[in-house]
Amino acid sequence: MSKPSDLVQGTLDLLLLKILALEPLNGFAISLRLKQVSSDVLQVSDGSLYPALHKLEQEGWIAAEWKLSENNRRAKFYSLTRLGRKQLAKEAANWTRLSDAISHVVRIEEA
Amino acid sequence: MRLEHWFYTIPLRLRSLFRRRQVEAELDEELRYHLERKTEEFDARGLSPEEARYAAFRAMDGLEQRKEECRDKRRTNSIENFFQDLRYGLRMLRKSPGFTAVAVLTLALGIGANTAIFTVVNAVLLRPLAYPEPDRIVNFMLGNHEIEGTSVPMFMFWREQTEVLQDFVLYGEVVKGPGVNLTNTDRPERLRSIPVSADFFKLFGASIEIGRTFTAQEDVPGGPRLAVLSDGFWRRRFGADRTLVGKSILLGGEPYVVIGIVCDIEPIHSAWNAQGPSLRTDTPADVWLPVQADPNSADQGGNYRSAARLKPGVTLEMAKARTKLAEARFRQKFPGGKLSSFSFNLEPLSEAVVGNVRLGLLVLMGAVSFVLLIACANVANLQLARATGRRREMAIRAALGAGRRRIVFQLLTETLPLWLAGGALGIGFGYSVLRALLASSSVNLPRIGAQGSAVTLDSRVIIFTMLTATFTGILFGLIPAFSASHDDVSAALKENGTRSGSGPGQSKTRAILVVIEMALTLVLLAGAALLMRTFVALRTVDPGFEAHNVLTFEMSLNQARFDQTVAVARLLRDAQRRVEGIPGVEALAATRSLPLDPNPDYAPVIIEGRPPTKDRYQDWAASRDVSAPYFEVFRVPLLRGRLFTERDDERAPRVVVINETMAKAFWPTDSLGRAPLGERITLYEEPPREIIGVVADVRDAELGSKPEPMVYVPVGQRLDADNAEDNKESSMIWVVRTKSEPYSLSDGIQRELRIASGGLPVSHIRSMDQVRMEATASSNFNMMLFNIFAGIAVLLAAIGIYGVMAYAVQQRTQEIGVRMALGASQRDVIRMVVRRGMRLALMGVLIGLVGAWALTPLMASLLYGVKASDPVVLTLVAVLLSAVALVASLIPARRATRVDPVLALRLE
Repeated sequence: MSKPSDLVQGTLDLLLLKILALEPLNGFAISLRLKQVSSDVLQVSDGSLYPALHKLEQEGWIAAEWKLSENNRRAKFYSLTRLGRKQLAKEAANWTRLSDAISHVVRIEEA
Repeated sequence: MRLEHWFYTIPLRLRSLFRRRQVEAELDEELRYHLERKTEEFDARGLSPEEARYAAFRAMDGLEQRKEECRDKRRTNSIENFFQDLRYGLRMLRKSPGFTAVAVLTLALGIGANTAIFTVVNAVLLRPLAYPEPDRIVNFMLGNHEIEGTSVPMFMFWREQTEVLQDFVLYGEVVKGPGVNLTNTDRPERLRSIPVSADFFKLFGASIEIGRTFTAQEDVPGGPRLAVLSDGFWRRRFGADRTLVGKSILLGGEPYVVIGIVCDIEPIHSAWNAQGPSLRTDTPADVWLPVQADPNSADQGGNYRSAARLKPGVTLEMAKARTKLAEARFRQKFPGGKLSSFSFNLEPLSEAVVGNVRLGLLVLMGAVSFVLLIACANVANLQLARATGRRREMAIRAALGAGRRRIVFQLLTETLPLWLAGGALGIGFGYSVLRALLASSSVNLPRIGAQGSAVTLDSRVIIFTMLTATFTGILFGLIPAFSASHDDVSAALKENGTRSGSGPGQSKTRAILVVIEMALTLVLLAGAALLMRTFVALRTVDPGFEAHNVLTFEMSLNQARFDQTVAVARLLRDAQRRVEGIPGVEALAATRSLPLDPNPDYAPVIIEGRPPTKDRYQDWAASRDVSAPYFEVFRVPLLRGRLFTERDDERAPRVVVINETMAKAFWPTDSLGRAPLGERITLYEEPPREIIGVVADVRDAELGSKPEPMVYVPVGQRLDADNAEDNKESSMIWVVRTKSEPYSLSDGIQRELRIASGGLPVSHIRSMDQVRMEATASSNFNMMLFNIFAGIAVLLAAIGIYGVMAYAVQQRTQEIGVRMALGASQRDVIRMVVRRGMRLALMGVLIGLVGAWALTPLMASLLYGVKASDPVVLTLVAVLLSAVALVASLIPARRATRVDPVLALRLE
């Protein structure tokens, strides 16, 4: 199964868009960055990463380009498109709303 | 937003479709890069190179499946897969030409038969009539098809309902009418003419080629003699001479000015078939003449037709209601007039044309769809057998990441070419068979044109066929596809290659298919057998006259010099003397209509001395004007009294001969069998006539219906006015009894008739044998098609059962070997196999019997002399089909007995 069971559905897209908004990266670098930025909390299997990237590419949110990587090998670099930026804004807003709502609920339970 | 989306995605899609190899290479490279980096990472953590590489692969969690997922994200994967599967499917089909040929031919047979029938249904029922807004045209009728015809006064009252209807048209008959003679040329010819009112051309949307059509001012009694010619006639007879317009031609001895040429419109005229009167639209008229009906006419003769167009926004129901109003006014003016016991009614024109052939065609369509289902079941069965040989292939595909959906789609895609090829071949096959059929037999269907020339392939037929092929292809392709995708992967892989057994689920599917085939075949067989019984019954029914060696000729007396009855009587005497002088001729008679070629006239009958019933026209009889030798020519036996003689002429006392049915129906209390000789009856408004004889019944209307009450009136005793009217409404038909083959005398008889009539043309030369054959044409057509369908069905069902049993035997070779090794005799083996085959067959037969019992009543009105659920017929077809199934399962059973136990055991 490629769906990361430990990630809320749809959040992988958001994470990928956010990471690529910072700088264009290749697939392997993305996988490293994911671990790094989430301090190893969010584990995305290598297997599910690529289908997710291909999906974003086909949606027109990210564009791919073959460039030399940091170790001088050809790699496929992804970067955010204008459409992707809009999508990121939308998904980020959604996420904030959702997480606010959930934290709210969680706080009520504590009281 | 959407636009921008496409801006990014369209180039990507196109790239994935058309630069597939490059896209694939990039995917490979991208993943390889990842794996290399990952391996390096693991390497750095101190794993051995081997272990590092393995760990990197593991982290990917199934490289090939991930690749497939990435491909799926491209969205074009399904299209690519489709073409890939298609290529693969075609390759598989090429590799097994035997299977492909059998499957495609079976489907072509099934689909082709459907194409053939649908082509007819399309031409007759679906294609709109070739008039402007044909569904807005309504036909005026009396009652509910009990009787045809409109009288002039009825039309005049109906015509007043201008709030709901427009373009009222009164018109006469084309085929059954007398037409008119084109004379004063070296080639006199009887033309098909129709008297029409001025709006005829407007209502039916005739396009004028040259000149003009009649105006309402010209369409009045005593108006000018004008003629509008049809384009076809004008070209044929006058070589498309444009100067003809404005000149006059002699029609019926009178000059008529040609005022216009009109393109051939889908003409309209009435006809009868087994189900009663109907309109036909397939015999073109040569010439249209103004009807010039008198608005003040009181003539109650009903030999016209009328039609009109619904005004915009008016429904048929509204128009019907207003027509009732016209009826009320008509009755006020003509209380108790002829035809008054029938109410005014309207129906859509198309209903009048095809209403009574619809059922027959739909029954055929139903039957032929059964043939298709059987063909499809057979092919699905073949595919199932093949699919078991491919179980390992499917298992491997599943193991490599093909989902169930993917496998189902693959198998479907492989199947579709079969169906499409079957469909394409079926169109050609069905259409050519249909052409041959229509050209060879006289099919009694409206709108099909001469020899079925109007039955053509159009886009609707082709779309229908391709849709049928695709739909059944998907439906029946899914059966083997699902059954294959259900397989247990590991079980299939474990199985050794030589014995690719089929799961129990699959042989169950095949058994069900065979049962369905048998059931459908039984229903078809039952239908065919019932129509066969009908055919035999109609062939053996005694029509009450002797048809053999009688030749008939038609002649139009539609001209002024025959207005007087005396003139007609003189013609009859003259013709009789001349024709009976020809060696080989026994007798000549004249009549206004022929038995079995129904265009009957009905007369209201009043019996003298009986108190009038509430409606004085309650009693009706068919009436036929004949000359004295009529009964001799047709060998109709006299039961009592006497027949007409030459002395029963215009000066003699008025007489009439009736048939037995009439004697029994009108004088039921006469136990001595003497009456009604000497009784006097009144027909129409005529002076009374004395009954001088009773003759035996003749099946006049059709072979399959009981004789009606009938009066025979001497042609020579008609009133002058009635005679002139008769000449306008029907031809004179000469009937000649010959001593030998009648056609050999045809030329001589024609010559004498022409001389006797002063040069009038003779047409429609037919033997009575031919008339009788035409009378059963439609039931012959149905029977022939049903037999063909049932034959195909039986063949396919037999192949189906054979296939399943042969396969089962092959599957159980080893088991049979063991049984034989343990002492089972050949008989035991045969019994074992046959029992299984027959269990399927009998299950199918039982279901089929229920189906036949439920469905055959639908065709009750097509049958004669046999009940729809005739137990004998049902039993017979059940036995027949079981016998076929027995033979089909005996062949593989016998093969089973030849199993060598030693060989069979070694197979394992």
